[in-house]
Amino acid sequence: MRTRFGIALVVSTGLALTACSSSPPKAAEISTITIMTPFLEAQPPAAGDTVQKALEKITGKKIAITWTPNSSYEDKTNITMASGDLPDVMVIQGKTPGFIKNANAGAFWDLDPYLKDFPDLVSKSPAIQANASVNGKIFGIYRARDAMRTAVILRKDWLDKLGLKAPKTVEDLYNVAKAFTNDDPDGDGKKDTYGLIVPKWAGINTASPYDFLATWFGAGNAWVERNNKLVPNFTTDEWLQANKYIKRFVDEGLINPDYATMDSTAWNQPFFTGKGGIIIDVQSRATVLIDLFKTQDPKTFQNYVDITGNLVGPSGKLVAQPTDGYSGFLAIPKSSVKTEAELRTVLTFLSKLNSPKAAVLINNGIEGVNFTLDGNLTVPVTPLTPQGAEVTQAVKSYAQLGMNVAGGYYLPKQATPYEQAMFDKRMKIQTSDLTHAAYNPAAPYVSATQIAKGAQLDNIIADARIQYFAGQLDEQGVRNAIKLWRSSGGDAVISEINALHTKVK
Amino acid sequence: MSSRYNSNAGRVFDVFNVILLGVVGLLALLPFLFVIGGSFATEAELTRRSFFLWPDQFSLASYAAVFATPTFLRSLAVTIGVTAVGTVIQLAITVCMAYPLARRALPGRNLMLSLIVFAMVFSAGLIPTFLMVKNLGLLNSWWALILPAAVNPFSLIIIKNFFQELPIELEEAAMIDGASELRVLWSILLPLSKPVLATFALFYAVGIWNDFMSPLLYLTDSAKWTLQMFLRQVTVATNVAVTNADSSYIPPAQGIKFAVVVVATVPILMFYPFLQKHFAKGILIGSVKG
Amino acid sequence: MSDLLANAAPIVAVKDGPAFLPRKVTLRARLGQHRWLYLLLAPGVVYFVLFRFAPMWDAQIAFKDYVPFLGIGGSPWVGLRNFTDFFANPDFFRLLFNTLILAALSLLIAFPLTIIMALLLNEVRLQIYKRTVQTLVYVPHFLSWTIVASLSYLLLALDVGPLFHLINAVLGTKIDFLADPNWFRPIIVAQMIWKNTGWGTVIFLAALASVDQEQYEAAIIDGAGRLQRMWHITLPNIRGVTMVLLILQIGQILNTGFEQIYLMTNALNRQVADVFDTYVYFVGITQGAYSYSTAVGLFKAVVGVVLIFGANWLAKRFNQAGLF
Repeated sequence: MRTRFGIALVVSTGLALTACSSSPPKAAEISTITIMTPFLEAQPPAAGDTVQKALEKITGKKIAITWTPNSSYEDKTNITMASGDLPDVMVIQGKTPGFIKNANAGAFWDLDPYLKDFPDLVSKSPAIQANASVNGKIFGIYRARDAMRTAVILRKDWLDKLGLKAPKTVEDLYNVAKAFTNDDPDGDGKKDTYGLIVPKWAGINTASPYDFLATWFGAGNAWVERNNKLVPNFTTDEWLQANKYIKRFVDEGLINPDYATMDSTAWNQPFFTGKGGIIIDVQSRATVLIDLFKTQDPKTFQNYVDITGNLVGPSGKLVAQPTDGYSGFLAIPKSSVKTEAELRTVLTFLSKLNSPKAAVLINNGIEGVNFTLDGNLTVPVTPLTPQGAEVTQAVKSYAQLGMNVAGGYYLPKQATPYEQAMFDKRMKIQTSDLTHAAYNPAAPYVSATQIAKGAQLDNIIADARIQYFAGQLDEQGVRNAIKLWRSSGGDAVISEINALHTKVK
Repeated sequence: MSSRYNSNAGRVFDVFNVILLGVVGLLALLPFLFVIGGSFATEAELTRRSFFLWPDQFSLASYAAVFATPTFLRSLAVTIGVTAVGTVIQLAITVCMAYPLARRALPGRNLMLSLIVFAMVFSAGLIPTFLMVKNLGLLNSWWALILPAAVNPFSLIIIKNFFQELPIELEEAAMIDGASELRVLWSILLPLSKPVLATFALFYAVGIWNDFMSPLLYLTDSAKWTLQMFLRQVTVATNVAVTNADSSYIPPAQGIKFAVVVVATVPILMFYPFLQKHFAKGILIGSVKG
Repeated sequence: MSDLLANAAPIVAVKDGPAFLPRKVTLRARLGQHRWLYLLLAPGVVYFVLFRFAPMWDAQIAFKDYVPFLGIGGSPWVGLRNFTDFFANPDFFRLLFNTLILAALSLLIAFPLTIIMALLLNEVRLQIYKRTVQTLVYVPHFLSWTIVASLSYLLLALDVGPLFHLINAVLGTKIDFLADPNWFRPIIVAQMIWKNTGWGTVIFLAALASVDQEQYEAAIIDGAGRLQRMWHITLPNIRGVTMVLLILQIGQILNTGFEQIYLMTNALNRQVADVFDTYVYFVGITQGAYSYSTAVGLFKAVVGVVLIFGANWLAKRFNQAGLF
């Protein structure tokens, strides 16, 4: 009997507890800035470590960081919002539909009206700032990333053996791939090599080699303006032409036969083992490949990897594929930063966090402790003290806080002259290609239908593309898929994007 | 005693059985051997060779990287502690529920069982459970790793059914001798249930050990983290890296992934051999006469 | 036999007084008699109320367009829209079909295999060997699906995988297993068997360990052979646990597990690969997860409950032990 009452008591308490959740009122003056940020390494920096102390000195405020594993950051973000205990600054990894919903419901400050008072936080690249905005609102200071990373990586020894040069146009690429497949570039007398290596890839406009090629062919980067309207790139003729081009590779055996199923974590394997000779991806992959060859043979590793930038399409014009230019942003929640005065305090803090001194600290470390400068390049301190090692590791995570709206940190010096030459080459290609970049004009806009159905709609096109390569669909089949995309909601997406485009412009 | 095995058919069956089980065991083990082998290999070799059991070039670099920081060892200790305490608590609560529910005469039993079945198929979800944990003040505490999953309805039902199948004569005999229901549970039923208890001790232990969602959601202080946080971070990070990564971010090497898997898995694997002696046959010999 | 006795009125019900007096036992008295049992139940009941049932109140987000920032109370009510969206999807029946086929394959193939393996292990006399193999077969359970998928790729990759060469040599064909829709289900089922069978034997081995050895001795004396002993003694003794596991697995029929399927899906096999759980994942990401997945969870729960109670009733009809 008593147990029965006990149970009833517990039930009602439990229900009552679920119903109410409160957070204590914040002090008017923020003395400790709370930050929530993801980390990608295996473990985060310890609280109150050397870097944090140095950062507190630069910004003049105490800092409390909640490091969250990035593998489940979205869930953690939503839970944090549901619980009501939000930090002052929150890293948002991208314009996910979950974030958009919360932002539209008023979760974050729109910083647009305030940035004029904080010139340090104003972006030098209006195109990238537009990319990072949401239908005209700026919900956070974006974290700048290299705007141009596209590259074509090739087996240098194969090029040399066949007397070829790095390709400049897509037609060159085809010829090189053909030579790699048919002309025995590894000299073993067997026809056991192919040209291009592409792994299984999900979705469209996800920075796949197929997407890069579409841009090179002039189809546009995700969206393109035609006849004063914004349309998706796959509705253009150039997109179909790019597919035809890739199908030539498939039909002639110039690409890995398992392009539809290959595990992306195994991407380097065919290149490294000498099965395939061309990879189209971000240029940092070249560094990884060079490292692999270096461990295999430190004496000859410089002969294997060559790199070149975006290729010229059939039109003769170079249309380069840029990245979004940013990787998420630092947003300021309204429920923790309640007044404009507090907002300005936080913006001042972010301003200082964005200063060159802070940029060096969180990206490079502390001069003399874990690195020294050789000209404008950093060199690690050897032997590394325990503190130096701690700082070097911590910096990999603190860099997540970097906005780098103004730039300002140093690049590392490479271990050998060859690697330095390759690194400089990568930077050069990056800068020159950037002048030809085709930005996605629809990036600032978020359409309601895209939020509701985007992933499934995209799959229709992505699957059709692969099925076309595999011969399961002909060109009419691809056109039918595009029609299906339109009727399943694609037309709504197009009209919504255009409406936003007119409104926000 | 030996007559049952010495017939020719029996012997042939035995040999065939042993070979078959050996093959199956090997098939089950091979991929794990690959993971172990890979944890001792260099990155170059892992990229070069598809599937191998023994590395050409032996390297401890992956393990060195994993054990380089004290936080990893601390999380190992934390995980062992939480798993040990948690298993005992979870099993105790479950058994305490299973015994009463095994008695068909108990008023309210069928209602409770129906509710439990419903709770088994329907989970309120991430956010409602999180809010309850928060409102109970369990955030950032290890209790949040143990209590929200304290009773697994599936385990509860099986243990209950097992109690139901034990011969009722045992209980009756004890009761006639004056034993209370609690005494019957403790002195008679539990010793007879060793295999089942051992099984679910294992299930609960593995459940806590492998749980990455709870530490992720409830533990904000990185000093309190369990192994799974690192394991998941290291194995999943490679796939996430493609879209958002900094150009300087290099995903963890395959070797490190494998090393973390080995370190995070081997301890809990060792638990079962310890329990196996409780699976010995013949516990019921002579318990029911006539 | 113990079932019969259990169904009769327990002798202990009327402790104070002669057993033959036709006394009406009030509910209050019965509750009092079993007060120790209720005490034992108490911690578990508290647990269920707090962590299972009270949070269900918040499952109302299935009927809302939940925005975490607005909280559960503040999110707008949309009624059945999450459900109708789910059913109105033109792919609904294809998803249902794929899900049910995989569930059926799992029940018809993987489930019996688990029992067979437990029986085979039980027959091994050398304890060391038995324990070793037992431990080996349950190791795969601990490897994540990510690793299983990577390994599947390594082994079956076109032209390079060892298994690719082996199976094609045996069959005399040149099939690309990872891309061919006809091979998707066999691969998934094979992965499931590999990963879960050893783990599943643990319960059966526990049940087998509890079988009264005297029954075997008596049977041998009566001249029963190996197979007869298995048929007449071993199998009936694990019937109870087999039925319960079967019923519970039937209740899980709509749960295929998202990760395994997602990792093995690609553009060429998606037609057969897409199941409820992967679909919910995709929609979930785009819509912001929680309302939608809660709605689908609710749907699956209702189906699961109906199936479990239905299967339980069927079992009772055939005079088997059920869940209750």
